[in-house]
Order: sequence, then structure tokens, then C-alpha cells
Amino acid sequence: MIWTTIVVGFTVMVLSIFPFMADMGKDMTQLIDNMPVELQKAMGMDAQTWSNILGFYSTYFGIYIVVLVAIYTTSTGATIISKEEKDGTSEFLMTKPISRLTIFKTKMMSLLVLTILIYVIQTLSAIIGISAFAQSEVLWSKLATMQISGFFLVLFFTSIGVLLSMFVKPKKNFMGIVVGLTFGSYFLNAIAKSTDATSWLGYFSPFNYVDFTVLASDYEINYMAIIGFVAIAAVLLFIAFKSYAKKDIAG
Amino acid sequence: MLAISTKNLSKFYGEQVGIKDVNLEVNQGEIFGFVGPNGSGKSTAIRTFLGLLKPTSGSASILGQDIDSEGAELRKKIGYLPSEVHYYEEMSSLELLNYHARFYDNVDVSKIHELAEYFELQLDRKITDLSFGNKKKCAIIQAIVHKPELLILDEPTSGLDPLMQNRFFELLEKENENGTTIFFSSHILSEVQRLCDRAAVIRNGEIIAVENIQDLLMKQMKKVTLIFKEQQLDLKIPSGCQHKKWHNKKLTFDYVGPIDLLVDWMSQQELIDAVLEEPDLESIFMNYYER
Repeated sequence: MIWTTIVVGFTVMVLSIFPFMADMGKDMTQLIDNMPVELQKAMGMDAQTWSNILGFYSTYFGIYIVVLVAIYTTSTGATIISKEEKDGTSEFLMTKPISRLTIFKTKMMSLLVLTILIYVIQTLSAIIGISAFAQSEVLWSKLATMQISGFFLVLFFTSIGVLLSMFVKPKKNFMGIVVGLTFGSYFLNAIAKSTDATSWLGYFSPFNYVDFTVLASDYEINYMAIIGFVAIAAVLLFIAFKSYAKKDIAG
Repeated sequence: MLAISTKNLSKFYGEQVGIKDVNLEVNQGEIFGFVGPNGSGKSTAIRTFLGLLKPTSGSASILGQDIDSEGAELRKKIGYLPSEVHYYEEMSSLELLNYHARFYDNVDVSKIHELAEYFELQLDRKITDLSFGNKKKCAIIQAIVHKPELLILDEPTSGLDPLMQNRFFELLEKENENGTTIFFSSHILSEVQRLCDRAAVIRNGEIIAVENIQDLLMKQMKKVTLIFKEQQLDLKIPSGCQHKKWHNKKLTFDYVGPIDLLVDWMSQQELIDAVLEEPDLESIFMNYYER
């Protein structure tokens, strides 16, 4: 609930800044042109970023919004099973006539529903915000592409969270790891994009496989990346379940 | 069909032994005691029965079903009372018990209220506000309400006051009369003595004896502590006394034999005080096996 509010609030705030930024558009364009090319690429900006609302939003989407949503869902993924183990309530649950597979499936379903819910709310707030503040025609299909790509990125991180909870001890607070993981891989991608010499780093960051450069003329969904994310997520969840199935629940 | 049957059931935590080569046979309809000191492997065995721990080797079946491969189906027929109760703290007892009931077929929900009244548990209070004893009462109701064929109780009386303990034992006896098998883990001899037909003793993860309680009581020893007016190092004490020790005017020994002989002898001494107590079950068994 709190996180949804933060994410929605952030989306609307970002979009509401846009008109002011757009007024400064010309100056900003000049300023950005003067910035080192490496920095521009790393931030996913170019001269158009500041004059088009979608470009403007995409910059923030890539940096903050996806990362924020991912932090929330990944940490939820990390705690959805481990919290019960930490609190000892897993004993209550697992002495009931249900198998561990059932428990795992149910938990994963609720995690998926939660992820979709927060993502849909964020998307809706983006649509409303963009409609309200746009100064010219909006290419909605580009927004859709970006939001869909971002969703699978979030799903991918969430599955990492679930796997983490199986192997990381103590099970107190996963926030540190999760924030490090999401922001870390974002910055890894940022560094990778800034120069050719560092571009190989990008292979290690999931952000590399979905880009949010909505204003590029050839911008479209990277189906391979999405299939890859879903496949890897499925493998991670499978490993997590295998570990969960043979796990000892300590008293 | 046996209620519980284990074959060389073992559980190791890395190198450390939890339980080792446990072979147990518990008959249906029996109240079976499971005794041993803290850390002897009682809870490990029980948690393995329930599928919380995965056995390292060996196998076990409960009511004819394998604990591992048929665990989910099997747990319909088991009521489990953990030694330490951890529940969802934000729920009230009633919410928790209703949630529990949803996992089983045909639970008579009115029984929750009936049992809560019997144990004087306020159902509307949140778990987090309950005392240790009240959590235990909630756990007892949770173990019994779905009418299990087998009740597995892990040190069930800790936290209960004597009145509630008594009501609890009466309830167990009633359930047993109706055919429920009870597996009763404890380190308190008097409880086992009161309830159980047979008992197994576990020590360092291994079953060292399975005994009929009545036979055992006949052989039971007493720990005797006497305070004399004077220390009498050359005092003759009755046969059947072991481990005689003087501390100033206090004499302690273990006694196995007819009680009237001991009382006769005591009446001839100049005593200030006398205490006869039951030793813990472990030492009874050790004493019994040393001879």
C-alpha cells in the first residue's frame, strides 16, 4: 500500500514537472548538448528528452520507477516465504494437510497478482499523468511497449528475490541486497552504455536487454529479451521450489 | 495397521545427530509416551513425522501412509501440538482456529467455542496479546478440533496451570476412549505415568528402551534425602540403597525396594526432616538398565 502510493506519487510528480521542464526545453537542449556524450548515453537522455513528455517520462521510468517497483516486488518475493520461517508460522502452515508444492504455488500466485496490481496502478497513473500534462500528441503504443518491457524486467527481479530467500541467511532484512541488486544492475547498464570500452558489462545487467529509449524510431518490444526473462525466471523459481521442497523447517 | 511405525529413521544436521536409527511401533488406540531429556531428539523425531524435517535415511509410516510421499494426505488425520507455539500474531484466536479448520473437511466449528469455554480461552483476543499459557490453549484446540485419528503432542503441558493441565488430561483420556491414538512427548514423569500405557526413552537421538509403564513403576526407585540430628558416618542403611552420600548432617541415597521397609527403618532414626522424591525418568531408566 505504502509502496503503491510512493510509486504512483512519483509517477505523477515526474509528469507534473514536465511542463516547467518543457518551457526550459531550449535551454536544456543546449545544456545537454554540452554534456559529455557518455553521460547522456548513460542516463538514457538526448536532446529530445526534455521537449517530449514520453521521452521525459521514459528517462525517469528507466532510472527510478522500474527500479522502485522492482525493489518492492523483489523484496516481497524474498520475504513471502522466508517471513513465515522467521516468525515460526511456517510450522503452522506446513503441518496442515497441504503439500509444499501447493504452498509454493499459492504464494507465487499471490506474488504475481501483487506485482501485476502495483504495475497496473503505476501504468494507469502514468497514462493519466501523461494525458494531463502532454503538450502535443502522444504515441501511446510507444508507452505500451515501454511499460510491457518494464513489467517483464520487474518479474525477472521478483523471481530473483524468491530465490534469494532460499539461500540467504539470516532471513532478517533483504532490503539491502535487493536495493543493491536492482540499482546495481541499473548502474552497471548505465556504465556499459556510456562507452564502447565498457559495453561488455551490459551483458551482466538485465537492464541492457530492455531499453527505454522510446523516441528512437525503431523502438519496439524486444521479444527475445522478454522470452529470456520469463524463461530464466521460471528456472529460478524451479530451483527455489526444489530447495523449498527438501528444506528442513527448524523449530 | 500400526499408528506409527518407523524403520531406522535417522536425521542428521550435517555431522550432528538429531535422531539415529529410530525403530518405533505405536499401536492404534494407545497412549504412547516419548520421554527423554532436553535435546535428546524428541522434537526432531516428531518434526520428522510431520514432514517439517526431511529424514536423512530410513522411513516411517503413520496410519499406513508414508510420512514423506503421502505427507499432505496423511496430515489430515494428525493433530499436532508444538512445544513452542508460533502463530500469526495479528489474528485473533478465533480467526486462527477458523483458518485452521478451513484446511480440513467437515470441521464442526461449534466445537471451537465449546473447547474454548472448556479451557477458558477468550477467542476474540489477538494472538500477540495472549500469554504463553493461553497460546498453548489455543494450540490445544487447534490440535484437537478436526478430530484427528492421531494426536502428536510435544511437551504439551508447559505453560498450563495445574487446573488446566488437569482438564487437558481429562480431555485426552476422553479422546483416547473414543479411539484417538496419542503420542505424548514429555520429560515430566508424573504426566507420562498418569496417561501412558507404554513409553519409549530417547537419549542422544537413540531409543534406549521401550517400556510398559506399570512394569516400570514397580521397579521405580526413590531419591531419599534425610536430615539427622548428628552425622553418623557408620550408620547402617537398609539394603536396596545406592549412591549413599553424606553432606554434614544430610544423607542422600537412592532406594529401590519395598517402601514399608524404608519407612520402618526411618522411624528408628533421629530425624529432623525427610524427603522422598521421584527421580526424573531418565535416571529411573538408567538405574533400571544398570542393574
